[in-house]
Amino acid sequence: MSLSSTPLTPEIVSHEGNAMVLSMGPQHPSTHGVLQIMLEIEGETVLKAEPEIGYLHTGIEKSAENLFWSQAQTVVERMDYLAPSSNALCYVLAVERLLGMTDKIPVRANRIRVLQAELTRIASHCVWLGTGCIDLGAISIFFYCFDMRENILDLQEAAGGARMHPNYLRVGGVNGDLPEGYLAKLDALIAKFPGRMKELRDLLQANPIFQDRTIDVGYLSPEDALAWNVTGPALRGSGIAYDVRRAFPYCGYEEYEFDVPTRTEGDAYARFLVRLDEMEQSMRIIEQVRAKLDEPGPVMVDDTKVAAPPKETIALSMEALIHHFKIVSEGFRVPPGDVYQPVEGPRGELGFYVVSDGGNRPYRIRTRPPSLYNLQALKGMAPGAFIADLVVQIGSLDPVFGEVDR
Amino acid sequence: MPSTQTPPINGLATDPTALRPPIADATIERVDAGTVLARLEALKAEGYTMLLDLGAVDYPERAPRFDVVYHLLKLPATAGTVAAVGTPQRFRLLCGVDGAKPNVPTATGLWKSADWAEREVFDLFGIVFDGHPDLRRIQMPHDWEGHPLRKDYPLRGPARERAPRPPFALKSNVQAGTPPTGRTLEALQEQVKRALRDAPGGAPQDDAP
Repeated sequence: MSLSSTPLTPEIVSHEGNAMVLSMGPQHPSTHGVLQIMLEIEGETVLKAEPEIGYLHTGIEKSAENLFWSQAQTVVERMDYLAPSSNALCYVLAVERLLGMTDKIPVRANRIRVLQAELTRIASHCVWLGTGCIDLGAISIFFYCFDMRENILDLQEAAGGARMHPNYLRVGGVNGDLPEGYLAKLDALIAKFPGRMKELRDLLQANPIFQDRTIDVGYLSPEDALAWNVTGPALRGSGIAYDVRRAFPYCGYEEYEFDVPTRTEGDAYARFLVRLDEMEQSMRIIEQVRAKLDEPGPVMVDDTKVAAPPKETIALSMEALIHHFKIVSEGFRVPPGDVYQPVEGPRGELGFYVVSDGGNRPYRIRTRPPSLYNLQALKGMAPGAFIADLVVQIGSLDPVFGEVDR
Repeated sequence: MPSTQTPPINGLATDPTALRPPIADATIERVDAGTVLARLEALKAEGYTMLLDLGAVDYPERAPRFDVVYHLLKLPATAGTVAAVGTPQRFRLLCGVDGAKPNVPTATGLWKSADWAEREVFDLFGIVFDGHPDLRRIQMPHDWEGHPLRKDYPLRGPARERAPRPPFALKSNVQAGTPPTGRTLEALQEQVKRALRDAPGGAPQDDAP
């Protein structure tokens, strides 16, 4: 029996050769969410893998069309729930380009945005490493990683008021300056980080069991990576040094010094090393941002049509009250047009193709979800692998199902 | 859910892509479904190695009704350093698709990555990609009716039948013999029976459009 294009059935008995069809997931613990993979296997070897997605489809793109521009950001943040600030950053940059205010964003706001994006990248890679190692049976890594992630979530909570979905970025800047005590917490994290990374590297990098499980597993050639539209650490693990932060800089990434880690092996171990290096490069950027954060400045664009005036002015100025009321009750309008804005998310090029018809709600938000395309490469990667290696392959692609299914 | 207090302010633009502000983010070109495949082939031969994304937009007031949007990136497989990558060129191809006959040739023969992207557009917009090897729903359940991202598809979905349920208490609670404070089980059962009998159509109506 072979996989057909008809709807999936629970039939698992094969009649052709020794092959059989097996459904892995959607509740399998190593599928990092709700991924179902229909496998055609012979013994332990995968002949064909057909991932079935959509179990977490929540219609975010449709919901966003019925919300104000500012409200849509809250649902957009929930796509990649491990890196909410990356999604928010991409969205606000796209809307700002439609509004034509990209150059008017205050410098300090851009620095805080970069800080949030890089923190969220480290937090996301922490989850990837922790859960990926659990798949391999290395449980303790999970606790080290989640400890560090917890520090970052504390920072997110301090800035935005919520651990998981801070919704701290705004069209025009960020929602209020960093609170008191934030920089001290950030300094503590910066001080703790190198030691924690060394621990992780000591535990894994030269570990023979870890190497046995990851080296030469899930090989992706540069040509295949491009054909499957793979981006992010997975693409850089195959030797192509494409990073949106360098190729199409945004938010002042030009002013920071960082490397784009690249490996040429193209296997799961290479992707692992790229991500570890990337966490350290992110921290390098954070340190540079931190050095510039002592300098005070505005964090919101000076345009009352888009940014609500400060709360304290509302009691004193009629004008401010009216602007505030208008923005809260009917949102702001965005000039008609369409724009594609990419950013480098933790998983690759995250893009929003945003269309405005001139109204106060997005006409259409099309996401370019890096997880979806990276996961699709599994179809090319899986044939010939053992089922146990398939688990490593999924982990090394780091899909997040909030984003794959949206 | 849209706010019930404020009606939406719709823009006047029926085709926002014609009013695009001058943003130099990509080379932009418009084609129709008849010529799109030849154009994509030519672009791939030019060195556009990646089909970064494929999405669609519905403009019900406009002819052609749909836009299928291809985002391409020129990234050589040998670009091993940041300097070699430089600033790769982007290309955005907008393909107008007729609402009455929403057919586009598939790009899966050129880029493998078009597979899921085309399935998603088919699923959510009902645009058929001729020649696609496995064109079936990807996000919605396979027996779903309609294409949710079309503008004429209601936000809450079509009205559906809901199993009859008493409006005041859960039947299972009543049967389990757990009366709420201050009421006897018999009184509650009587109330549920009456409510079921009196409700128009025998069941509470869904307020979905």
